[in-house]
Amino acid sequence: MTRSGRGLPIAAYLALLVALALTSAFVAVLAIVIWLPPRPPDVVPANVVAAHFKAGYEHMRETGELSRHGAVSWSVRGQAPRENEGSAHTRVTQVQLAEALALRPEQVRFAADHVERADTFVFRVRDVTDAARDGARVRRDRERLRREVERVVRERHRQHIGEAHTEDSPPEPADAEALEAEVRAEVDRALRAHRFEFDLPDLPEPPDVPDTPATGAVPTAPAPPAPPRRGVTIVAPAPDAPAVPIFARAPPGVALVSGFQVGAQLPDGRWLVMSQGRNWAELSWIGRAALIIGATLFVLSLLALWFARRLTRPIRNFSDAVQAVGVNPQSAPVREEGPRELRGAARAVNTMQARLRALIADRTKTLAAVAHDMRTPLMRLRLTAENTPAEQREKLAKEIEEVEALVASFIAFARDDPAEEARVRLDLAALLQSLADDHGAHGRNVSYEGEERVVITGQSLGLKRLFSNLVDNALKYGASARIKLRREENTVVIDVEDEGPGVPPEQRESVFEPFVRLNEEGTRGAGLGLAAARSIARAHGGDIAILDAEKGALLRVTLPG
Amino acid sequence: MALMAETPQPPRVLIVDDDGDIRDGLVQVFERAGFVASAAADVPAMERALAVTGADLIVLDLMMPGEDGLSACKRLSGKGRPPIIMLSALGDDADRIVGLEIGADDYLAKPCNPRELVARARAVLRRARDAETAPPGESIRFAGFRLDIPRRELVDPDDVVIPLSAGEFRLLRAFVERPQRVLSREQLLDYAFDNDADVFDRAVDVQVSRLRKKLERPGAPEIIRTVRGEGYLFAVKPVL
Repeated sequence: MTRSGRGLPIAAYLALLVALALTSAFVAVLAIVIWLPPRPPDVVPANVVAAHFKAGYEHMRETGELSRHGAVSWSVRGQAPRENEGSAHTRVTQVQLAEALALRPEQVRFAADHVERADTFVFRVRDVTDAARDGARVRRDRERLRREVERVVRERHRQHIGEAHTEDSPPEPADAEALEAEVRAEVDRALRAHRFEFDLPDLPEPPDVPDTPATGAVPTAPAPPAPPRRGVTIVAPAPDAPAVPIFARAPPGVALVSGFQVGAQLPDGRWLVMSQGRNWAELSWIGRAALIIGATLFVLSLLALWFARRLTRPIRNFSDAVQAVGVNPQSAPVREEGPRELRGAARAVNTMQARLRALIADRTKTLAAVAHDMRTPLMRLRLTAENTPAEQREKLAKEIEEVEALVASFIAFARDDPAEEARVRLDLAALLQSLADDHGAHGRNVSYEGEERVVITGQSLGLKRLFSNLVDNALKYGASARIKLRREENTVVIDVEDEGPGVPPEQRESVFEPFVRLNEEGTRGAGLGLAAARSIARAHGGDIAILDAEKGALLRVTLPG
Repeated sequence: MALMAETPQPPRVLIVDDDGDIRDGLVQVFERAGFVASAAADVPAMERALAVTGADLIVLDLMMPGEDGLSACKRLSGKGRPPIIMLSALGDDADRIVGLEIGADDYLAKPCNPRELVARARAVLRRARDAETAPPGESIRFAGFRLDIPRRELVDPDDVVIPLSAGEFRLLRAFVERPQRVLSREQLLDYAFDNDADVFDRAVDVQVSRLRKKLERPGAPEIIRTVRGEGYLFAVKPVL
């Protein structure tokens, strides 16, 4: 009514949720594929593994301690490590390693979980150490070149001067500067040309000068000053190598292995074993993938939570509204919102509520009419009685009061709607005390004993009616009533005792039924008081029972405290 | 009504009921009791009678053809109207509360004892004459408490309903309508026990002590004070 439209069925909501979940799973996978680089392999060329092992083996032999290289784990075992079924490639590496270690092939093991063909591409990034090493080598070679060129130029110079004027001892300072400039020029030229060639006349070997550049291994400048020392060629170092490509072909003939385990027998007969450690690159890759999946799941669960709340809020509202209707039929109609099924239910409840309201209105009207039609003649009678002699008048008045009491109890029972009155916090002790006082003021013997203040939640008029029904009942059969109130753990217990004939056990249930009276002759009342009292007690979440008493009847009311 | 207090003229009562026999019977009862009684069969007739002769008290039937007593009472209340006693075939506590909340000064269920009706009429007239504050259908606040007059209930500062006996209610109402005045036992008997002939001074003391117990709060000042040799004093100023 408040919102147009029929709403989606719950199944549609659920399907939407499932579709959402599947979509986000798809998005997560897609994100991994798009945003993550290929999973890094942990393959290593077998010869590199072998070289590494060799270094570790030698370290062990020299120091007696295990190598502490982090990427692989080292151990010493009594038993030989596993042998690989292996490919020819690892077999070759094994034999080579044995040779390098000066061991027999059977003293070496080379096993790998996975062996790639040697001609696959290796995924490799040129790293900082590579670059640094290259740079250091180039600088060293240049320095060596410069020293060599300088030496040769000086030699040549000295010869030239010696020919000119042999008596001269030190060269002129101007000559020294010229010499320096000439050395620089020659070095530049050599670097540009990658080659430095010159001739020297026959010279005696300079025995006193230690020939440092000649003794060092100079791979790029193989310029040991040869004994003839005639045409000398110095090859200048190549300029900086171009950037190493990211994908490079593995060296041919070398297997790429992963999950390797290399072992070799130590001189004492034990085995030194090197195993591949964790592939940290792969771990971080897995971590990043997990992050993407986790983030997607997080977003999805937030979405699902929001969705669930959105779906259940109308259901909660509905349940609250229905509860309100149950307590008070005059409450506002239930809002028709949410899934289609719920809107249908809300509409049904609203229809029911409207019917209920109409019914209540009808009943109220009927009861008012009945009350009016019955009490108007009684009032007429009562007024007529005023004109009769006093003795007759009292008798008539008494009869009229009795009929009125009957009418009152019928109407009270028929309109009895415990839900109509609001619940308040009230002092039950004060209620019972004032009930006793009211009866006492009319000269009836009703007493109250118990606590002074017992606060419970209930309907003020309803509880008053409950207890005055019980007291009236006690007075009817027993001429006196004692009310006792005590508080127990979660309940309050009210006993109403009388000194009448009591209630036989077989009738203790039936007296609570409407229109049932204990003994038919001589009693007045419609037999509705106890029935009404019980229905009020039950509406409060309590009950009434008749218990054994020493004399008379004991009615026990329990109410939630 | 101020006029009434000066001259010993009998009070004028207007009886409004759609049933002729009841109308006549009630007129007889009131005249016998010394009132000047007139009758009206419905609400328009009642308004005509009020406009022509006026009345000191209206006895109003609740259920009448045409406009019923409740709506007439609601319409009349507010302006300086005479006090109203509702006489109704609906005798439930809930009906009584509705009637009093609408603004009736008293409410009696049919069939009632005619002499009780006359006694109530006298009490209503007396209250209208004496009380400083006679707000029918409302509640009076004092010292954190609230006296709900239609429901005859006391609501304490913690919002807990403290039911009162009929005697306690009448006594408390007499006090809150005459605050900060010393009231003798005789006055209290007069105000609070009008329809019970055989009560004595002792009964006042008993009721007062019961009422005190219900009003007692630790740390709070005494609300009903004893004035030795004279009577009692309601010591706080009520707020409407």
